Amino acid sequence: MSSLLDIKDLHAGIPDKPIINGLSLSINPGEVHAIMGPNGSGKSTLSYVLSGKEGYEVNGGEMVFDGQELAQMSPEARAIAGLFLAFQYPLEIPGVTNMTFLKTSLNAIRRGRGEDEMDAASFLRLAREKSRALGMDDDMLRRQLNVGFSGGEKKRNEILQMAILEPKLAILDETDSGLDIDALKTVAEGVNALRSPERGMLVITHYQRLLDFIKPDVVHVMAKGQIVKSGGPELALELEKSGYAEYVGGAETASEGSPAHA
Amino acid sequence: MLDAQSHFEQIRDTLPGDGQARAATLAAAEAVGLPTRRVESWHYTDLARLLKSGEATGVRTVDFAGVKALEAHFENGLLHGEPQAEGLSVAPFSNTIAHTEAPSPDTVMASYNHALAQNGLTAEVSGTLAQPLVIRTSGTQPVHLAHKISLAAGAKAVLVDDHMATGYANVVFDIHLGEGAELTLLRSQQAGHQVGLSRVTLEQDARYKSVAMISGGTLARHEAHVTLKAAQAHAELHSAVLGHGLSKAATHADFTYVIEHQAADTSSNTSAYNVLDGNARGVFQGKIIVRPDAQRVDAQMQTRAMMLSEGAEMDAKPELEIYADDVVCAHGSAIGELDRDALFFLRSRGLDEATARQLLVAAFLEQVTTHIDDEGLSEIMRQLVDTKINTLLGNLSGEVSS
Repeated sequence: MSSLLDIKDLHAGIPDKPIINGLSLSINPGEVHAIMGPNGSGKSTLSYVLSGKEGYEVNGGEMVFDGQELAQMSPEARAIAGLFLAFQYPLEIPGVTNMTFLKTSLNAIRRGRGEDEMDAASFLRLAREKSRALGMDDDMLRRQLNVGFSGGEKKRNEILQMAILEPKLAILDETDSGLDIDALKTVAEGVNALRSPERGMLVITHYQRLLDFIKPDVVHVMAKGQIVKSGGPELALELEKSGYAEYVGGAETASEGSPAHA
Repeated sequence: MLDAQSHFEQIRDTLPGDGQARAATLAAAEAVGLPTRRVESWHYTDLARLLKSGEATGVRTVDFAGVKALEAHFENGLLHGEPQAEGLSVAPFSNTIAHTEAPSPDTVMASYNHALAQNGLTAEVSGTLAQPLVIRTSGTQPVHLAHKISLAAGAKAVLVDDHMATGYANVVFDIHLGEGAELTLLRSQQAGHQVGLSRVTLEQDARYKSVAMISGGTLARHEAHVTLKAAQAHAELHSAVLGHGLSKAATHADFTYVIEHQAADTSSNTSAYNVLDGNARGVFQGKIIVRPDAQRVDAQMQTRAMMLSEGAEMDAKPELEIYADDVVCAHGSAIGELDRDALFFLRSRGLDEATARQLLVAAFLEQVTTHIDDEGLSEIMRQLVDTKINTLLGNLSGEVSS
């Protein structure tokens, strides 16, 4: 079986600052991988490099997604190819309703794939169905994108986007951050509902807690821009007990590298 | 710009009212001359230079014809069609506003208007106007218009100022809102050189809302003097600028407000959203005055600018003059670029870069459009914004004059 995502010896970072230092990782369709690691290990950078954020550069290695090398692709081309990033800090965009945004997004992706755009009525049905499944009020579709949403609502809205766009690979960047236990459960249920034999997931998290609800197939420990250990779900539990100390080699914890605007 | 004196001689015979008084007013205005940048209220708008620059720009014909509306169409100053409706009485233009004060550089443009005003809508509204009243200004000739709009107690109306004239226009609105009256004034300028002044007075419980959209033209100076005379009067002034064009063809949009709270328990809310590309320049000067007895005034003022090119400029100058001690007044100003994180977010959701930029610009201006309650009119404004963004800013790469 060919991998959905195949990262080999990836070197990447921001100008003059290497952050990912020879990282390799392979995800097959249907698998959920978790990446855990201390602050500054490069977890968020990996998600940005994979999704093509401006300001990050790839200095070596490969990242092949569904047969295509990602490095030269625009963020939108990656989305059209089926890559999805659930943001750690979802943005508020006043002046555009959630509904308009979701429809524009879905149709941009359908167009990019050579498919017909979805008409307004069908889209409305789809959006309502998916949002209700996530326990979201219809009102949240009419509101301006993330404006006045609570932390939990914002994260749920990310999962709603994922449910509507149906990506092949979803990267969840610290989706648990800022969530109380109830919100965490709801979001995790939404994610679990999207698990399928065709879809891969990469769950980036600092804490084991999220993995109680989204059970990973493989757990990786990331430190200093590399995968330093991989194992089954039990690895997450070990980390919960022992912490990251043995992987960071002392107290040195660099700040998470990112450009000034991130 | 025109030579005011010879313009006057040319049209003198067609002007209503007292020719002698007009001649005297003009002489007094000419003695002062056009305001220069040394005049504080004109510091950011070099009128003489701007009036020389900028050829007539193409007028997009997104207009208000699609809305069922009453219409007064001034073409080169001539009125076509007189709006008729229940609750509306229109009087012939007379130019009788008392204008005895000697002009100062701050007021001289109003004096020019008074001397040269060739037409204008004089309307009184009682009751509720069922349809919006559209004042359309078109043509290529220099024009001076003086509109007088008065709403009786309890009257309600929506007024649309659809400015499509490509020449020079000096336009004055005198607006009086009686007790409990409500007026929405929707303004769109798509072309030309306009020097506009609105003088608005509000009686008790009156509500005034002005929503302006500048999407074309090389000079848009909109000065508003709003006086809240009695309790519970509320005024809102919202403006959007979609500025574009290079050097002499660039948009220059100037909103200069004086909002005077004369009475206690009055409120005002002002917002200005500027999107500036090319060499466009946005100016916002907002002065809020709270008189000594005007306690419990709530006055808010916000300016936002989105700079799309290095050649664009925004000048924002809020001023508060507060003589009462129990008031809530706030102003804020934010000038920035297109949010790169938002751009990345949208692209990560499949939107190409141009579409993502257009969506963010439209979303920014939507924060003004959203103040238009009438659905038909707000839809037209959205179309206008979308069309302008597509045609003029289709290439939002940040063109810069060399």
